[in-house]
Amino acid sequence: MGLPAGTRNYNYAQDMAIFRTKTHWALLLALFVILFTAPLYCGNYWLSVANLIGITIIAATGLNILTGYCGQLSIGHAGFIAVGAYTSAVITNRLELPFLVGLICAGLTAGLIGMIFGIPSLRVKGFYLAISTIAAQFIIIWVINHWTSVTGGFMGISVPPASIGGITFISQSSQFYLIMVITVLVVFLAKNLARTRAGRAFIAIRDNDLAAQVMGINLFRYKLIAFFIGCFLAGIAGSLLAHWIGFMNAENFTLMDSILYIGMIIIGGLGTTTGPIFGVIFIRMLQQGITFIAPWLEDIFTLPAGFTTGIGPMVFGLAIVLFLILEPRGLAHRWQLFKASYRLWPFSY
Amino acid sequence: MTELLQFVITGITVGMIYALIALGFVLVWKSSGVANLALGQLVLISSWFTYGMLVQAGLPLWLSLVLIILFALVLGWVIERFVLRPLIAQPILSLITVTLGLAFFIEGAVSFIWPKSVAALPRLFPQEPIHIGTAVVSQEYLWAAAISLILFGLLSLYFKYHKMGIAMRATADDQMAVQACGIPVTKIFSMSWMLACVLAAVGGVLMSSIGGITFGLVHTGLKAFSVVILGGLNSFLGAIIAGPIIGLAENLGGGYLTPLTWPGVREVIPFIIIIIVLFLKPYGLFGEVRIERI
Amino acid sequence: MNWKKLLKMAGVVSLALVIAIIPLLGAGCAKEEEKTLKVGFSICYTGVAAEKGRPMGNAKLDCMKYINEELGGVAEYQIEVIWRDNQYDAAKAATIINELINAGCLLFTTNSSKMMMASAEIANRAEFPGFAVFSAPVLTNPPQHIYAQMPDYGDDWAAFAKYYLENIWQGEGRPKMVLHLLDNPTGYGARDAALVLADELGIDIVATEEHTATTISEIESLTRINALNPDILYISSTPQPTSIIVQNAVELGMYPGITIGCGHASFTSVLVELAGADTEGVYGVYPTVNWGDDVPAMAKMTEYCLEYHPDDYGNMDYITSWAEGLVVAEILRLAIENVGVDNLTPQAVEEYGFKKLDNFDVGGLHGPVSYTPGDNRLSKSVRVFQILDSEIVPITGWVEAPLIPYEFD
Repeated sequence: MGLPAGTRNYNYAQDMAIFRTKTHWALLLALFVILFTAPLYCGNYWLSVANLIGITIIAATGLNILTGYCGQLSIGHAGFIAVGAYTSAVITNRLELPFLVGLICAGLTAGLIGMIFGIPSLRVKGFYLAISTIAAQFIIIWVINHWTSVTGGFMGISVPPASIGGITFISQSSQFYLIMVITVLVVFLAKNLARTRAGRAFIAIRDNDLAAQVMGINLFRYKLIAFFIGCFLAGIAGSLLAHWIGFMNAENFTLMDSILYIGMIIIGGLGTTTGPIFGVIFIRMLQQGITFIAPWLEDIFTLPAGFTTGIGPMVFGLAIVLFLILEPRGLAHRWQLFKASYRLWPFSY
Repeated sequence: MTELLQFVITGITVGMIYALIALGFVLVWKSSGVANLALGQLVLISSWFTYGMLVQAGLPLWLSLVLIILFALVLGWVIERFVLRPLIAQPILSLITVTLGLAFFIEGAVSFIWPKSVAALPRLFPQEPIHIGTAVVSQEYLWAAAISLILFGLLSLYFKYHKMGIAMRATADDQMAVQACGIPVTKIFSMSWMLACVLAAVGGVLMSSIGGITFGLVHTGLKAFSVVILGGLNSFLGAIIAGPIIGLAENLGGGYLTPLTWPGVREVIPFIIIIIVLFLKPYGLFGEVRIERI
Repeated sequence: MNWKKLLKMAGVVSLALVIAIIPLLGAGCAKEEEKTLKVGFSICYTGVAAEKGRPMGNAKLDCMKYINEELGGVAEYQIEVIWRDNQYDAAKAATIINELINAGCLLFTTNSSKMMMASAEIANRAEFPGFAVFSAPVLTNPPQHIYAQMPDYGDDWAAFAKYYLENIWQGEGRPKMVLHLLDNPTGYGARDAALVLADELGIDIVATEEHTATTISEIESLTRINALNPDILYISSTPQPTSIIVQNAVELGMYPGITIGCGHASFTSVLVELAGADTEGVYGVYPTVNWGDDVPAMAKMTEYCLEYHPDDYGNMDYITSWAEGLVVAEILRLAIENVGVDNLTPQAVEEYGFKKLDNFDVGGLHGPVSYTPGDNRLSKSVRVFQILDSEIVPITGWVEAPLIPYEFD
């Protein structure tokens, strides 16, 4: 169903290609052109929104690999992002090592800690694992808050701007390039991960882990790898976030943020590559919308006191619940349906 | 040494409050296999409703209590009917996530309807602290502990002997068999959610009369998870016993470790206990062990 | 078959056109407008801090309305307000500050220290001046382009400590103090000040305890504190945990007995409401006046409050932000006076507005606002209050909090 009629594959490479037809390549190229020339015509504000979306996509892709592909529910993702952010901050601020070192170490540290908290997945699954990740989130944030000598404790820690070689990424447009390049790489990686041996093992574990075990997949090993990869990406996202905001404080990483990440990948579509992208864009734009709506509504008529406080969480909660009830496969699935009907029009029955 | 007694008594009484909230969780798990992660928020909204009845509408106590119970019943029914029923056969990930979405929604709704973030409830219990030896304990906590024990007793009896309780246990075991016997499964789910909300309401009223209504109630709901994990997800007895254990661990651990390590150690102890329990004995002290060779 | 392909191509082309036009629209229609003074406000209007953010936002906007309509603006120029709701989220604050810089604002304010921390780096790098209504020591040390409208939690501690030593301490030697801190900058601000100044002032900090905003019982920590026999318990927190601590202290029999002092974040009528008669005799500091006090700006503020936002009457944060509006206007006025309206840039506003503030009385709503080099706090004084008969009563005039030599990197 994915290819237009008349496309024939003559060898294995063609069969397995992600971008098969000329149209695919053309659209991809157009997308890249538009994306990477964005700083030319977008204002600073939209660039900063795009940066935030890029960072969130990286983290959400990590969570998607862990929860969507491997089925290990993790409600502590904000904690792992925090680990990455603080590692990078400490390395660049206190140890004064270059940004790239900070970035890689952030990913590795987050991945390692993710692996440690993923060890219970050996013995439990489903809800128990979810509780373990919630506990992980709280423990991580607590340690960050109290390890004052290293992390600056409650007062937070300031983060110098990212710099590679001699180039310092201060302006939104330079950071845009940095973040978008990494985002594109990450999405590309995630797409291909699903096609490797490890990726197929993840999907097998998600669908029926007993059968996977019977087939010879070492469950424990692959679950840990899934935790590592998922949290590695969270660490990378955290590091970029730290350098983008410039000041790190553990209050930014609450349980509600973890729940929001889960919401993002569910709304976007679990277990697909484009899912996290859709979900992230949806939720972030919704949040930005609320930033504008309150002033605009206030100008028109005075709202009851609780309206603006409550409307944000209510809308998100409602969105998550409605998507789960009505479209559990998320926006990515809707997009597939749309593409299919477009391709078959007017014969889409 | 005098401190030890104080820590022990405070630990046990605070723990009983955690146990009360944990009972609500266990109830839903036992009857429908759904993990209710919106527990803290249910406690919160019940407390605010209590505030609305007692303070804003100024109704007498007995009428407010009746209305609160009614409110909890209606809330439970609405949640089950509109949020959980469409998801009946879905994988557990969806069920857990939908309760998370519900949690978000309820928090927003609370801020929407009652914009104040803190409020005080009129005291339901006498304020005089009781002296046990050299230690002091507030009467409110003792009343809360007593009510928790009574509710635990009632729930256990209900589940063991009452027709509906037995039906709930059967549903948790095997839904298809229950339907084959002619019992409407949806009705049982409704009942269990309604009861769970009533339990949350009782817990909320007790807790907010002690400490006022704030978002802290949600956090206490999270600590109730550690009680549930330690005691076993589907055991009332486990919840009642694990509650004081967690409370003791918090207070004793906090009491003696704080001067040695960092202040605030008390906060992280329940979560460390969760991780330890999951490593060693994942199903808790009294939980039902699923034998699955993985 | 052929027209289908044509249709497909038309669809793609029109889609591409639409995508291409959007950025052109975004690049903006530069229309001729009369000269206004743009200020940016980043307000936590919704989200978890909305209970403070909303009345503060209302107050600022009412004040701007008052200045624009009744006073004709600043030096005859209208103030154009660009405000955004940051939802108490750091990432959003970061996008908002970028927007404000882009939109050509001359200065910005935030009402919360956490939001300012998220915006400070970006603002400092762009040399875009701003001030935080509620501040934290790390924002103003080392002093860059961020200022603090009111004394922070460390200053609260310093002012109370000074007052205690001068007026309450009767014994010999050094008093013993215990700090009970909320687990965030509100609490630890006091500790950082204490670490630097306690020795110098002559106080021994014998213990530091921490609590969370969601605590339901502090008997455990108070038992430990009781064993140390302190003279003062200083609580730097928000109303609800403070009420729990005070009640528990009364239960344990510690209070009345020791002296209890609170920072300004918790010392509001909510504290009295939550803890009731237990709070009798508790001290606290607060940086602004109370509703109904006889000061020049009270009448206008009360009028606008009752007309546009009657629900906020009685809320102390409204006073704080009305004062904020007055300070913004004064900064702009000084800048225009010194460099003229055509040379206004953010840097000029900082150099000739912020740094030229000299004893501006803010209508008497809080301590006078001045800039002294090396000290980015605009107002440095608080008043000490005590709860008597369930009322918060001021017992001193303006007490200036000394500059605390923090060492932040």
